[in-house]
Amino acid sequence: MTGASATERSLDDLTLGSALALEELVERTALGEMASSFFDLFGVPLRIFSEAGVLLADATKQPAIYEYLNERHRRARAALQEVVAAVKRIDPGPKGEASYTCFTGAVYHVVAINYDNRQLGRMILGPFLPPTVKEIPQSFLQVEPDADLVVVKELLTQMPRAREETVRQIARHLRGTLDLILFSGHKALLTSSMHLASVRESFRDLQEKNEKLQEAYDRLKELDRLKSNFLATVSHELRTPLTSIIGYSEMLVEGIAGSMSGEQTEFVRTIHEKGEQLLELISGLLDLSKLESGTLAIRKSDVAVDQLISDIMQTVSPAARKRGVFVTSDLDAGLPRLWADSTRLRQIFLNLTDNALKFTPQGGRVVISGKLTTMDVEPDDEEGGLVLLPRKQPAIEVRVADTGIGLPDNEKTKVFDAFYQVDSSSTRQVGGTGLGLSIVKRLVEAHDGRVFIEDNHPKGCIFVVIIPCRRSTLS
Amino acid sequence: MQLDFAQRELTVKLVYYGPALSGKTSNLQALHDATDPSATGRLMTLETKDDRTLFFDLLPLTFRGQGELAVRIKVFTVPGQVIHSSTRRLVVQGADGVAFIADSQVAETQHNAEAFLDLKQNLKSNGLALKQMPLIIQFNKRDMKDVRTDEEIASLAAQGREPVYLAVATRGEGVVESFLGLLHLTWSALEAEHALGKKFGFDSHAFLADVAAKLNDRRSVSEILGTCVGGALEVLRPEASP
Repeated sequence: MTGASATERSLDDLTLGSALALEELVERTALGEMASSFFDLFGVPLRIFSEAGVLLADATKQPAIYEYLNERHRRARAALQEVVAAVKRIDPGPKGEASYTCFTGAVYHVVAINYDNRQLGRMILGPFLPPTVKEIPQSFLQVEPDADLVVVKELLTQMPRAREETVRQIARHLRGTLDLILFSGHKALLTSSMHLASVRESFRDLQEKNEKLQEAYDRLKELDRLKSNFLATVSHELRTPLTSIIGYSEMLVEGIAGSMSGEQTEFVRTIHEKGEQLLELISGLLDLSKLESGTLAIRKSDVAVDQLISDIMQTVSPAARKRGVFVTSDLDAGLPRLWADSTRLRQIFLNLTDNALKFTPQGGRVVISGKLTTMDVEPDDEEGGLVLLPRKQPAIEVRVADTGIGLPDNEKTKVFDAFYQVDSSSTRQVGGTGLGLSIVKRLVEAHDGRVFIEDNHPKGCIFVVIIPCRRSTLS
Repeated sequence: MQLDFAQRELTVKLVYYGPALSGKTSNLQALHDATDPSATGRLMTLETKDDRTLFFDLLPLTFRGQGELAVRIKVFTVPGQVIHSSTRRLVVQGADGVAFIADSQVAETQHNAEAFLDLKQNLKSNGLALKQMPLIIQFNKRDMKDVRTDEEIASLAAQGREPVYLAVATRGEGVVESFLGLLHLTWSALEAEHALGKKFGFDSHAFLADVAAKLNDRRSVSEILGTCVGGALEVLRPEASP
């Protein structure tokens, strides 16, 4: 169910019911100003009351005769108080207007303020003296026979004079004006409450959708975790029999089980080779799922990067020679040691170099370079003392540059997604599982480092790995 | 519906629903113009500067039946634009009856259907069932080019439950008919639920005749109601009765 809280009124309350109050629809100060200007124009006093009896506007001046009587004549003062109270009580009735005549001969005209068939308040016009009152009325003499009649007559002439019909006409005009003001006020009130209600409703709507999204997200995360678990289990189970296949085929090739013909040896060697490939793939999957689930153990120690890279150079040089690609390295002297897992670090650089070779055509060149650099420290104030810590930290940057086909910009981040292939057609020229780079990225991140791709001019690309030196330099 | 026993006054809420620019506000304007000044107040429109309804329009009507009951009818429109769904949901809250104003143009068929589903959804989220809501459908803009034909609408209407009216709201055609049809349906549903006639000595037929007269339509009520195509006007939604 939609709806506002108990303290706020619904659209129905503001449009259907009788809950509207005059003071909600008009601005009190402005109403007072209107009443004053009316008084200035017509000279007839005007007071406006809400339905609850609250005085909202008061444009009156105590007539001199009232002042005189209040000051000097006790009986007349009491009678005047009664008049004021009686006028306040008058119900305009179904006709919407009523009159009251004071003992002084002055008249009060009471008019209902209606809006949408509901009475919201009353206007009291007067006291004024109709032109028909020429002498001191009998009623006055009855109330206050002792008054100085010369003074009273003089003061009576100072009272605002108006014909009752004229006052009625003025009241009608005033009522029409007020109706327009009330309509505008109601419209403004509705607009503002609808603004609020709509915003609240939209917010509620969005909140509901957010909750649904969060649920879906949680469910997907759970599914992803299940998938990783499954992958880990399956990879492990696959590896066990594969070890036997590789081991026995290797023994066969080595002639442990007797000699074989040239063709037989060739076949078994193929079995062994493909078995190794399969193992690599499965190990990749296993690594990936462990990296995803955060269970891959990173065993850090001091690693000499230059040593590691020259090892890799040696490892890849036979394959490079076979493909007719030149592999060279360009390492700054005196590179500090890295605090890292040497096996994983080797995996990172070997994978990138293999990759570079794979995509570099014959006669091309792969360059592995390394230098000391710095990288930004991720602000982490949990430990405190942030202000004391260096903004930059020393890091080692290794760049593997090739002169291959290169990568368009939109592919430069996608290639790090698991199973992503730039050329996903079945006829692609270069093999691979699409796991290598995603494993590289995760391994680099496990070392708090970054990996990204730059263009190698005029062609090819450069894989840049930056890994902070961390403990090894600090310690 | 709000019933004020002390004032012997009943307030009924009718909502004009439909896709953007189908003529909901035009319906209210035409209804306001047709109504005797003694029975209507100002038409309030909360619109943006481009004449599109932002929150709603509100037309207050007051009729006095032959019993002692005064009937105040508040006719609302909703903003048709798709983005104002939350506002529509607020306006349709507590509706006693709904007039669905459809755009007759062939190209608008899909928008009509979407707005209708939106109505259903918004009623549902207010705890109201479309099935139990007094509902008429008006095919407006009959004067446009490329509109769905009378025959097509009539044959589809004949299969449906909702009374269907044809209208050109900007010329006032079909407006009073649609309103009276909706009022008749709504009144029957309220009568079935609250037995107003018995409680207040209220003659609903005379009431409708009075409304028709105040809307300056000289035809008999049955003649006016009879202008609808299809649907069931006599026995309203049997499942709505308790």
